[in-house]
Amino acid sequence: MRIDASQRHWAIASAVILLLSAIAYHVYVYNSALGARGGSPAGLAFGILGFAFMLFAALLGARKRVPVWRIGRAQAWMRGHLWLGLLSLPIILFHGGFHFGGTLTRVLMWLLIITVVSGLFGATLQHYIPRVMTADVPFETVYDEIGNVRNLLLEEADRSMEALCGSLGFRKSSQEEIQRAGGFTAMRPMAAATGGAAVAAAAEILLLTEEESAPLRRFYLNEMRPFLQRPSERRLLLSDAGKAQVGFGGLRTLLPARAHPTVDDLQDICEEARQLQKQQRLHHWLHLWLLVHIPISLALIVLGAVHAVMALKY
Amino acid sequence: MARNRTTKKLAQRIDLNYFKRPTPLKRAKFWLSLLLPLLAIVWISWYAAHKDARVYSSGRMSEPHAILEKECAACHVQKASAFSAKPDNQACLECHDGPIHHASQITTPDCATCHTEHRGRINIAAVSEKSCAECHDDLQTAGRPTRYSPHIRNFGGGHPEFAALRDNHRDPSTIKLNHAIHLKPIRRGPTGPIVHLDCADCHRPAAAKTSWTYADANYLPINGTASPDSRSINAHETSSLVPRTPSTGRELMAPVTFANSCASCHLLTFDKRFNEGVPHDKPEVIHAFLKKKFQDYAAAHPTELRTPRDPDRDLTGKPLAPRIQSFTAADWVAAKTADAEQLLWRKTCLQCHQLSFGANHSLPVVQQNIAQNSNALPQIADSHVITRWMPHAKFDHEAHGGFTCVSCHEKALSSSDSSDLLLPGIKTCQTCHAPGPDHAESRCFECHTYHDWSQRKEITPKFNFPPLKTGGR
Repeated sequence: MRIDASQRHWAIASAVILLLSAIAYHVYVYNSALGARGGSPAGLAFGILGFAFMLFAALLGARKRVPVWRIGRAQAWMRGHLWLGLLSLPIILFHGGFHFGGTLTRVLMWLLIITVVSGLFGATLQHYIPRVMTADVPFETVYDEIGNVRNLLLEEADRSMEALCGSLGFRKSSQEEIQRAGGFTAMRPMAAATGGAAVAAAAEILLLTEEESAPLRRFYLNEMRPFLQRPSERRLLLSDAGKAQVGFGGLRTLLPARAHPTVDDLQDICEEARQLQKQQRLHHWLHLWLLVHIPISLALIVLGAVHAVMALKY
Repeated sequence: MARNRTTKKLAQRIDLNYFKRPTPLKRAKFWLSLLLPLLAIVWISWYAAHKDARVYSSGRMSEPHAILEKECAACHVQKASAFSAKPDNQACLECHDGPIHHASQITTPDCATCHTEHRGRINIAAVSEKSCAECHDDLQTAGRPTRYSPHIRNFGGGHPEFAALRDNHRDPSTIKLNHAIHLKPIRRGPTGPIVHLDCADCHRPAAAKTSWTYADANYLPINGTASPDSRSINAHETSSLVPRTPSTGRELMAPVTFANSCASCHLLTFDKRFNEGVPHDKPEVIHAFLKKKFQDYAAAHPTELRTPRDPDRDLTGKPLAPRIQSFTAADWVAAKTADAEQLLWRKTCLQCHQLSFGANHSLPVVQQNIAQNSNALPQIADSHVITRWMPHAKFDHEAHGGFTCVSCHEKALSSSDSSDLLLPGIKTCQTCHAPGPDHAESRCFECHTYHDWSQRKEITPKFNFPPLKTGGR
């Protein structure tokens, strides 16, 4: 979600709530003989408000799990999550009078701080990374399918090589039947036996002699195939776009002109594999923070409820 | 042939059911979201299982209550069939008595209204000035109207000038002392031609043990000090609303004594025949002393009973005394005693004290009233030296020992009358005692106390020390 002018209303409303809360807090502290206390009427009011904001922010998870709920737009929930979740921190600080208190309250405060800070970190990433992704990864695909697409790219490269150099003994694609997207015609079960429609059509068969194809075979087996199989290995030549350009350029000088279109295809496949690798990296940045944000916030809600009950007791 | 990447072909790569498959990221998210709240529940349940409520504490206890840190139930008494275990006054009164402030107060706040616990290792007696202002900002009392200022918010807001300095009050002391003269260089003194007196030459707290510069050993009692002890000073003119902190004897200045501070300059000599002075005591004692001295002298010097007329004492208009006067011993003693008393009552004593005589007497009459009855002796007015000028507050001179006396008591430098009140005003105190980090403490408890300890009741101890930390009583 981008933090842009479309969030202006939420930002203004949050600023107004924060300002009013700050004024109320100062009036309350000024008039309170004992200073800010969580158990005072004003302190309790701040506590209830802050916890309500936290609960609302936590409900985003439930709203996402049950998208058929027609309770407001998903975008409004997301914005509410972002701004009210952020507001919960100062409101809870007002609740405790900027004291972290005892064991449970101290744990709660740190959980809240971690949740809010990780949320801010995530919001920042969500603001910038999608733009980077759009600009740098035009071949972006569904993240969950990256592994599968990589296999298809490898298969496509193998077939292009075999079309040019003859059989190299590569294993054909698996026979698993899966439903694929791509329109109504693609809804039928597909298998590699059908010719691998998911894979780009093989290049026109132009067999090179053994001698002519030797540099290409060597390059493919030593550099390109390992890269397609293990794209995360950074020491590989083709992991770097510049070095790959040089490598493919050198290859073209060693091969007859009729092999150049296949070399272009192979270079294109490598470029797509690199982009998928970058997409994977950016996706991790986009979502790994959630491994901190969500579990910590759930623990915060659970312990917050315990704190609310026990504070009434003591 | 270049690769043909149509949208359809790209879409065909995607498994339509991809979202049903758990990815490592989804799996980690799910398990962590389950594990952490579960850990939180286990953690809090562990405390509950051990009946340890400390985890719910809102902060550390104050210094005096630190021993109760693990003993929540000492204050949070769980009543039968009640969920709440909030502390009440009774829990405090188990260990402390908390006498009320004034009989005329219209409300009595709970202990916790002023004494806030769980705020860390603070001094729990150091209550907020707002606690006092709850009532004193708009003081309402039961019965007759209060004589105290009804709108006091804090030391800098609404606090009136000290009572002793209001309404042109004067120092009721009867001792005549010119501070201005004593603080200027004095031409002649026992230690040299020029004497520079310091305040501490006369004014010291009762517990001060240093020797006095201008003391005269002849006037000191056998124990070597003439100052009253600190307990008698603190007991003097105090209010019940004075903090119960133990006295160090250094808070207040002891009354100035003649023996310690005056005797070496202000000699009480009475006759050129004697080097010593009269005792600094009541006129009856002095009279007896004089009589004894002259009787002893007459016995030792019988020729002195025949005295030639002093040519310098021939005053015109008066009959000349015989050339040689002969006295009986008794007459001579009476005459010399009367002469000495003339000197003392007219000048020496009168210089500092207020003397009053009976209706029929002015001063002793020489050669008349030979019977020397004590009715002729003057009455010396009680000195009325006040040691505590602020009976509703405490002040500790020792805590302010780093400052010169005149930096607060600046009027001493110019005061020529002992009725001048040299007590510094509230503005002087407010120079340092004000709110803010750059100032000394200015909250009410610094000088005042709430509980009227004169009304205290003894409490019955309920805790046994060793088992307290483990929950025993």
